[in-house]
Amino acid sequence: MQTSLLVISTALKVLLFPTYHSTDFEVHRNWLAITHSLPISQWYLEKTSEWTLDYPPFFAWFEKFLAMFAAQVDPKIVQVDNLGYDTLATIYFQRITVIVSELVLYWALQRMLTVMGNRPLQKIINWSLILNPGLLMVDNMHFQYNGFLYGILVHSLVDAKQGKLLRSGILFAALLNFKHIYLYIAPSYFAFLLRAYCFENSENSIRSRSWISAFRPFNFLKLGFSVIVVFAASLGPFVALNQLPQLAGRLFPFKRGLTHSYWAANFWALYSFADRIMIVLVSKTPLGQYLNLSLDTAALSATTRGLVGDTAFGVLPTITAQHTLLLTVLLQIPSLISVFRKPSFDRFIGSVVLSAFASFLAGWHVHEKAILLVTVTMSVALANQIGASPNMGSGAGALAESKSGSTVLTPRDVRSFMIVSLAGYIGLWPLFFTRQETLTKVLITVIWFVVVGTGLDQCIPKPAKDSGFSASGRSLLRHFTTLERLYVFGCVPVQLYVNLIHELLFGQEQLAFLPLMLTSVYAAVGVVYGWLLYSATYFSPSKALEKKKTR
Amino acid sequence: MATTTHRAKGAKLKGSKSKDNTSLGTNHASTFQSSKTVTSSTTTTTRTSTPPPQAQASLTKTPKLNSAVYRYATWLEENQLKKTGAWIAVGIAVLVRWAVSLGPYSGFATPPRFGDYEAQRHWMELTLHRPIREWYSDNSKWWDLDYPPLTAYVSWICGYVGNMINTDWFAWKESRGFESEDAKLYMRATVLVLEILIYFSAVLVFTQRWFANKAWTRKHTALLLILLQPGLILIDNGHFQYNTVMLGLVLWAINSYLDDQDVLGSIFFCLALGFKQMALYFSPAVFGYLLGKSLKQGFFGCIWKLIKLGVTVIATLGLLFSPWLQSQEEILQVAHRIFPVFRGLYQDKVANIWCAVNVVIKLREMFDVQELVRFSTLATLLSFLPSVLYLIAKPTKRGLIYGLINSSLSFFLLSFQVHEKSILIPALPITLLILDEPAIASLFVTLATFSMFPLLRQEELTMPYYVLLAFWAWMTSSSFSSAPKFLQFVAVINLLFIAAVHIAEIAVPTPLPRYPDLYPVLNALWSAAGFVLFWLYFNYRQFATVHAPNMGLRVTKKRE
Repeated sequence: MQTSLLVISTALKVLLFPTYHSTDFEVHRNWLAITHSLPISQWYLEKTSEWTLDYPPFFAWFEKFLAMFAAQVDPKIVQVDNLGYDTLATIYFQRITVIVSELVLYWALQRMLTVMGNRPLQKIINWSLILNPGLLMVDNMHFQYNGFLYGILVHSLVDAKQGKLLRSGILFAALLNFKHIYLYIAPSYFAFLLRAYCFENSENSIRSRSWISAFRPFNFLKLGFSVIVVFAASLGPFVALNQLPQLAGRLFPFKRGLTHSYWAANFWALYSFADRIMIVLVSKTPLGQYLNLSLDTAALSATTRGLVGDTAFGVLPTITAQHTLLLTVLLQIPSLISVFRKPSFDRFIGSVVLSAFASFLAGWHVHEKAILLVTVTMSVALANQIGASPNMGSGAGALAESKSGSTVLTPRDVRSFMIVSLAGYIGLWPLFFTRQETLTKVLITVIWFVVVGTGLDQCIPKPAKDSGFSASGRSLLRHFTTLERLYVFGCVPVQLYVNLIHELLFGQEQLAFLPLMLTSVYAAVGVVYGWLLYSATYFSPSKALEKKKTR
Repeated sequence: MATTTHRAKGAKLKGSKSKDNTSLGTNHASTFQSSKTVTSSTTTTTRTSTPPPQAQASLTKTPKLNSAVYRYATWLEENQLKKTGAWIAVGIAVLVRWAVSLGPYSGFATPPRFGDYEAQRHWMELTLHRPIREWYSDNSKWWDLDYPPLTAYVSWICGYVGNMINTDWFAWKESRGFESEDAKLYMRATVLVLEILIYFSAVLVFTQRWFANKAWTRKHTALLLILLQPGLILIDNGHFQYNTVMLGLVLWAINSYLDDQDVLGSIFFCLALGFKQMALYFSPAVFGYLLGKSLKQGFFGCIWKLIKLGVTVIATLGLLFSPWLQSQEEILQVAHRIFPVFRGLYQDKVANIWCAVNVVIKLREMFDVQELVRFSTLATLLSFLPSVLYLIAKPTKRGLIYGLINSSLSFFLLSFQVHEKSILIPALPITLLILDEPAIASLFVTLATFSMFPLLRQEELTMPYYVLLAFWAWMTSSSFSSAPKFLQFVAVINLLFIAAVHIAEIAVPTPLPRYPDLYPVLNALWSAAGFVLFWLYFNYRQFATVHAPNMGLRVTKKRE
């Protein structure tokens, strides 16, 4: 039990009650009302509010469960036509449900602590996740239930680590029916469970043996049946009501544009930025004539405004949903193959991270909040590596690989994690455009960065010769390259401009897209860099190590 | 791991030891010894769970620390994050304050008079638009300026800067009762900035000086605990006041006295007085300490020191009040504003003796105001007299802190016209003893915060109140592990009572229609009883502990 963690996080979350809550607050209030006051047949048809139910059925049931209490607190909360109801009691109630539901994450992390091993060091991951600025911002300020959902995901991953693959699969299937954003990492789960659970001898690659003799039909049926049961429980009623197309239309609104209201920090942010640059070049300089580029004038006002809608590009080719899907799959395939060849937990969790990366970077209409999928799964991967590391001070730090076969934590892992987290969380800052939230979001991010950066630094096994403390001064960024330090410190002037100087220079209305664009592009650079670094770690050294091992 | 840190500490302690010879500590050898064993015990406990018997023996002398805060400080030290640690502490303190700031303030959206927020805002408006000599005579019947000049000057600066951002906020007469998100943000920011500049810095320096030859972890633990004292946060950043400026200046005075810079300290103390007259609660102790110290210097040394101090005080106060010293009339006007004796014996329900007695005997009906003023002044004088006399006789630095506690508690309990918020004044020196008297200080802060609940409830600041109070109780709960059984029992009873009152109030808002004020009266009686006990305890401590050789740190300096 980490009582202090629970107490501190709860206290902070309650203190954050009066912070700005977004329209998602009303979204969830509306869902409480829909699920409580209407029969199931109406759940996905109801459209009094513009915030229609667009999460899968399990989440709707979850809301129905919460609504039982909501009706006790104040019956007005659960009235469908009571739009925009946000009395103090309503806010307190809904905020409290978030805090209570996040106990699932706390529970999952306590399990992780025991399962992964190396308790004293691994605690930092729990601190990092429970007091995660991303989760705090999105759940406890902006208002969503991610902590609860990521709790289920971590449970599932811990089960996978423990070898309880069936349970892991069932939990993940359930998770998909809570929120379909987890489809982003479904390919990794599919590859891993298929290979590890439905084929024999899962830890080694099957080369000499024939695939057919290794196949375990009974496990395959068990897994398949379980997953089908989960989906049937979720979707069954709506199949019976003949509402499946309606439900699918709600869950997958492909009519939305390539980018979300402001650009998530991914490829398309960079792409859109490149397009903006090209527009300026083409319209203001004679470059366009040389290159024979034409300007799509209709597109000029579209993306800059940063509103939800179709994204059009001025110079560069338009991106369609098919393109993004293709690119995502292409980016995911290498790690999937790797998992399929050798389905160890290390490879699986790495592949989950890379799938999340791929979907975030290349997906269609990605929300900036989806970065949590990357950082949370990366945290689990780090916990796994810390668990494999020898205890600090034992002097065996030089071992690159422990007896469990997992790779230990390297500076490179920490660097990529810290940079992606920093970039991703700064990418969340524009969610809070009210001035009074600026200090809060900056402080929780910066304090997190310093404390967790230090904690992870402590987890990196030292070379045997200077085991324990290095007498020379340690600094948080000592493993970072010059370029990376530049990036980290570069955040300061960029965000100073975005949050302060821009408004002093131009006011609130003029050039409103500029700070958003700056944040997105700067964050996108960090996320892409972190992804490259992580991929490099995933694909190169482990292979080299395996070769050594086989020799 | 243990050896390296130990060596590092050893080197550091050597450094402080040599400093001891010149400036600090008559018995530095013993403090050096105890802090060394504490260090070794902390490093061993991180490795093995059972400390060696020698370390255990030393732990009985200095209060044991096993709180989450202390573990965190140890972790910072292990990772050589000492410098960054201070910044993180400031960040955490600011984060908590800012979160509380987002809530409502005194008089939020409650026309026609609004509250303390409007008073402060109006003073900014007043000082910005009126000539300086009219500040105290402006008779607009709207939140007259009734704080001393430094508040007025600071208001002028805040008003001036704010006026550059938005002229609506402090427009003359137009802006009365003006409320907007941005104005609130600005006002909140002024509190926070002044607090960081004056109070945070003072606390940081205090922990450096008070725990001068103690481990860094101790300093840092004290820093975090003092900065997270809930009462001050709730009143300044929730209710809206600038108490931390006054308390910060007092703390700077204490810091200077700890460093034997008595003239500088007196300047700070006069500035505190010039910011908020409540700093007078401390003045008997400061006076006693300085007088006692002067008397120790021989005849001519004493005269010279008293002249220096007297000139300092007169010059500082004179400078602050200089714009209004032209005529007797003006002086009286300012004095009348600053000391409004006409307001009554006490406001609302205060946990002091008069209010408690009033439940049984209706004092205000039996005596007129003049009699009450005289009577309460006499009672106050008598109650702080023993402590001050003792301080004159034995002007030690530790004694100064106890003297500050005793005189301010006396004022709170017995003086005329006390606000419930005034408990924050004795709470400052008591909070400073958070590692020297951990259980008592924790208990006092808990009770003090509870005593302000009726005020906070009016302003819908209950949620941050519950969180910060519970957090404080949790954070300091380990202080009781080494406390006497009796004290543990008292602390548990106190928490149970507080919880019971809050739960009852939520469940049954008005149990007896005849007594609508039942809960505030219960609160006031319980708190007043507690504060009287604290007053007795701290008087006892002042007489008993100053000689005790091993009670924490001795910062007394002996002149050759």
